[in-house]
Amino acid sequence: MRMIGFSTGALARSDYRQALRMLADKDVNAVELSALRQEELQPLVEDIDNLDLRKYQYIAFHAPSSIEPAFEETAIKLLERVAARGWPIIVHPNAMHAPEAWAKFDALLCIENMDKRKPIGQTAADLVKIFDALPGASFCFDIGHARQVDPTMSEATAILQACSGKLKQLHVSEVNTQSKHDPLSLESMLAFQRVACLIPDDVPVIMESRVDETHISEELARALESLTPNAVLAMAGD
Amino acid sequence: MKEDEAKSAATVMGLLDVPPIPQTRAEAKRVRDELDTLLTEQLGKYASEDTSLVVFGSLARGEWTAGSDLDWTYLVDSQANSDHLRIAQKITKVLRDRYTGPGPTGTFGNLAFSHELIHQIGGQYDTNKNTTQRILLLLESRAIGTRTQAYDRVILGVINRYLEEDTHLLTHDLSHYRVPRFLLNDIVRFWRTMAVDFASKQRDREGAGWGLRNAKLRMSRKLIFASGLLVCFNASLDPELKKQISTVKSTDDDAIRSNLANHIRSLVMLTPLEVLAKSVNDYGVQESIGRDLFGAYGEFLSMLADEGTRKALAELRAKDSRTDPTFKQVRKISERFEKALDAMFFESALLGPLTRKYGVF
Repeated sequence: MRMIGFSTGALARSDYRQALRMLADKDVNAVELSALRQEELQPLVEDIDNLDLRKYQYIAFHAPSSIEPAFEETAIKLLERVAARGWPIIVHPNAMHAPEAWAKFDALLCIENMDKRKPIGQTAADLVKIFDALPGASFCFDIGHARQVDPTMSEATAILQACSGKLKQLHVSEVNTQSKHDPLSLESMLAFQRVACLIPDDVPVIMESRVDETHISEELARALESLTPNAVLAMAGD
Repeated sequence: MKEDEAKSAATVMGLLDVPPIPQTRAEAKRVRDELDTLLTEQLGKYASEDTSLVVFGSLARGEWTAGSDLDWTYLVDSQANSDHLRIAQKITKVLRDRYTGPGPTGTFGNLAFSHELIHQIGGQYDTNKNTTQRILLLLESRAIGTRTQAYDRVILGVINRYLEEDTHLLTHDLSHYRVPRFLLNDIVRFWRTMAVDFASKQRDREGAGWGLRNAKLRMSRKLIFASGLLVCFNASLDPELKKQISTVKSTDDDAIRSNLANHIRSLVMLTPLEVLAKSVNDYGVQESIGRDLFGAYGEFLSMLADEGTRKALAELRAKDSRTDPTFKQVRKISERFEKALDAMFFESALLGPLTRKYGVF
């Protein structure tokens, strides 16, 4: 089975315990613990030992999407405790003010491509520059962000080709015009399928779609279908 | 980066150093930066992730001279919002006191929408204005400022639309990309449309501005057409693009198309003169032909840069063209340019067969 699961932030924002409860009886083997807001980082890091994560074969940790320069050193120190567990740390390129200070995480530093609102990290050219500065880092491909930046998925193809050796995990959701993560529509599934052949089966999938608990399994099935090359997708309403 | 390589190859040959090309390129960059500064000062964030201010014409081509018109459009790739028109009107107000143009056709100086540009290619709703905006977006445009996401998206959207309609992008033996015919045919159509519109404008404007329009048709318009053909032919000739074929499965149409789309995008980000210089370099075109192309074009730009000559051309009527000394010079320059283009496109071992196969019948 492909490693697939959810981001806790997508299911219950900062309430990661609630998100883990929602996933407890679902057919998932991967999870991403999210501390998307700066103030959520320390409480989550300090609570990790108390969480039941035994069912997960793959665990990633999402660092705050925005970090104040004055907090960067503290954030890195807290994240060292995450890195000690061997978990990939997902980082937005614009959250790093002193990239050299993050280099110590080596391949556990997993840099994500950005949506169209962010100043950097949207294109293959941007990402190549970032990885030139952080050559040891790995790559989290947010396929929804890539589609929002270029619906034709040509840029996504260029990104996957440029970063293929670094690809560590996927983020999957539909990113709407307000850059919010929505459940997958047929339109986004068709787009994702265009690059599915460039994504190896062993790359873990972390869902970021904002769904309620009753729709988790359905959303997981949609994601798997959209990542299957040449799958015949059902028309909406069928 | 591919663009940088193309520019440096052309620079090595010195083709882009023919006077006054370095000056017009530097001036164009200065004016584009000035536009960004001016609009930011007056309007704040005038562009967004869903809207871009795009310039066309000499400012985009790097051929800016003192009398150049400023052709622009506010490109929208977002949810419908009536405020977009108000922003375009504010941009008009800021620019009209400082720059000349745009012209009276309504093609520029207003809004352009991604949906029309991408969806309405061919068919009865593809208006003259839509065709012009679409082809010029590909062949001679630049986004102003740093918010270029909408512009970048629409460029790729248009390129992909062309490629989606071509049934087979690779040759039968899967060894090469084919020349993208739908795109090529639209570029050819646009060139002929410009030529037909020349006659139409002459009638509508009772002959006013004939000399300048004729000179542009012979030189800068023809350059756009030539660079468009070269972009299309390059799909079949570029060795790096050919190498990419082996990295994807032959059945994976999406990856094959995306690679070609990204390749075409990298070419259309060059100016027409850069495309021409790169092609002279890449296709082993004789040095003397390269010198004639760029020498003639440099002379044309020098004429436009001279206020008196430009004014004389703008005032020239068709009936006086056979005797007018300024227009005689235009004719001489344009004949040299055309002869060099003929030699490049028909006599080059690489381009000749493609020109005959795709450019004639």
